[in-house]
This record gives sequence, C-alpha cells and structure tokens, in this order.
Amino acid sequence: MKRFIMKNKFLVLSIILLIVISIVDIKYTYQALDNTVSQVISMLVIVPPIFILMGLFDVWIPRETIIRLMGEKSGVRGMALAFFLGAFSAGPTIAAFPLALIMIKKGAKYSNVLFFLMVWSSLKLPMVFYQISTLGIQFSMIINVSMFIVFVISAFVAEKLFTKEELHAFEEKANHYSK
Amino acid sequence: MSLEAIIIYTLAGVLTIISFIYNKDKTLKGLKKGAKSFIKLMPVLLPLFLFIGILLALVTPEFISSILGEDSGFFGYVFGIVVGSVTFMPPFVAYPLGRELLNNGAAYPQVAGFLVALMSVGLVYFAAESKFFSAKSALIRNIVSIIGAIIVIGVAWVVYA
Repeated sequence: MKRFIMKNKFLVLSIILLIVISIVDIKYTYQALDNTVSQVISMLVIVPPIFILMGLFDVWIPRETIIRLMGEKSGVRGMALAFFLGAFSAGPTIAAFPLALIMIKKGAKYSNVLFFLMVWSSLKLPMVFYQISTLGIQFSMIINVSMFIVFVISAFVAEKLFTKEELHAFEEKANHYSK
Repeated sequence: MSLEAIIIYTLAGVLTIISFIYNKDKTLKGLKKGAKSFIKLMPVLLPLFLFIGILLALVTPEFISSILGEDSGFFGYVFGIVVGSVTFMPPFVAYPLGRELLNNGAAYPQVAGFLVALMSVGLVYFAAESKFFSAKSALIRNIVSIIGAIIVIGVAWVVYA
C-alpha cells in the first residue's frame, strides 16, 4: 500500500482532490471527469504518430550520426539542430518526451535535449504564428525573443549542473523506455 | 482534427511510406518498437490527465480573468505566474484568453507572465518528467521557465510603460 502511494503520488493526490471537490460541489466532479475524458481522447489522437516517429528514428538513425550532430562535441551546430527540431514540431509538450528519450538513447548531449524540450514547450512555429495572429506581432516578439535568450543561456548553464553519473542515469532510463 | 494533428499525422504517414519503400523489415521493426514504447510510457502519462481534468474544472477562464483583471498590480504578476505554472491549457485556448484579458484592461506585463508560465512551465508534467529523466532535470527546466516568465514581465513592463 505504502509503496503504491509512493509510486503513484500524482494519482493519489488527484483522487484526494477529486473527493474534496465532490464534497464541495458534485458539479465540479462531473466537470473534472468530463475534462479528463476529453483530454485523454485528444492525447490519444495526437500521440500515435509520435511513437511511429520514435520507432522509425530508432531503426533508421545510427547512434554515430546523433553523437556527431548533437553529441558532446556538437557545439553550436548541435544546439541549432535541437532548436529546429523543437521549433518545426507540433503537439503538446507531453509528445516531446518520447522524442527526447530517443535522442538521449542515441547519444545526444543532455543540454541539447533540454534545449529541445524548452523550445518545443514554447517556441513551436505553428504556435508562434497563431500567437502573432491573436496577440499581435510586438507582444509576441517580446515574449519569444526573451524566452529564446533565456533558453540559450540556460542550456549552457544546464551543461554544468549534471554530474557524469546523472547523465549516465538518463541514458539508462532512455534505454529502458525505448527497447 | 486540429492543425497540429494533421501536420504530425502527415509527417508520420509520409515517413512510414518512404521507410517502407526502402526497407520493409526495418519499418516493421521500427513500428513495433514505437508500439512497445507506447505501452511502456502510457501508464506514466495517463494519471496526469485526471489531474489536468480537475484543474480545468477549477481554474476556468472566468476565474483567471477575475484575478488578472484591471489594477491587479503586483499580486497580478505573482498570481499570473503561479496560475500559469500549475494550469494546463492548449495554445488555442490560451492565446485568445490572453487577447481577451488585454481587451478587458489587464496590463501587458501581467498577461505576458501568465502566458509564458502557462506555455513553458508544466507542473502537471512534473511527475512524468521526473520518471522519464529525473526530478532535478524537471526542476531545472521549470525553474528556467519561471525565470523566463519574470524576465518577460520585465521586458514587457519596460516596453509598455
């Protein structure tokens, strides 16, 4: 029991929350479950092609290629590639995780993977175009240029923050999830 | 189907066909690998959606408008970042909401902070992210995004002051 709770903290927290809102007003519970179902459906719609891409990536792209393009010694070019992969994408951040795992498995530098995730989360081009059309170009550019600079700096900083053992642990997890 | 879904299905479809033409066995192996990963990753991802569902029921656009309205001042910045960080919203809901907030008299810096936190800080993803990578990594990515939100507030404040 205790182990189940420790392993599923998030699920347990959600269920407690659900009980609390049911006591407050059952209307929220219906709304919450309704939202959950529609979120799960919209995720199941977007996620299958991501896993197809993940599988194809795994069989077609040799580890040496990714090490050369995005690995330890890839420098600015590796970051540029991480940026383009993140920007020319579509889908919620959750869809980026499987792709990030496969990059790690193939030997990409962790800071590049982190940079890819950050770019994906807020600088995806289809989203940027939509953002400009709703919020205006000036406001959008303030947001996007600032975030781009923050992400570049933090990718450099992140490189220094992880020990060799931690980086190795990332690879082991990635191998576990994409056998 | 959303534009995002169309783009990504087209990409996956075209690449699968090309891959299939070049090498049938490799393609099947790849698809099998993808399916295996899907089965492994799903149990980690699914509980998130219950949490997201609850959040969306409680934190409605009306609620956000009420805290980020006109004259919300300093607390508007803080609430904007906090609510943006814990909430989850697809961009096709978030950006029109941002527009509406601005039209209703909310200040640019507050809306900017809220939107940046909403898009790049994903506290709902924290559990999954810590399992796939590590808690430290998830923490770093989210802290960076919060710092980003604060910087964007600053820049927007200077530009629109």
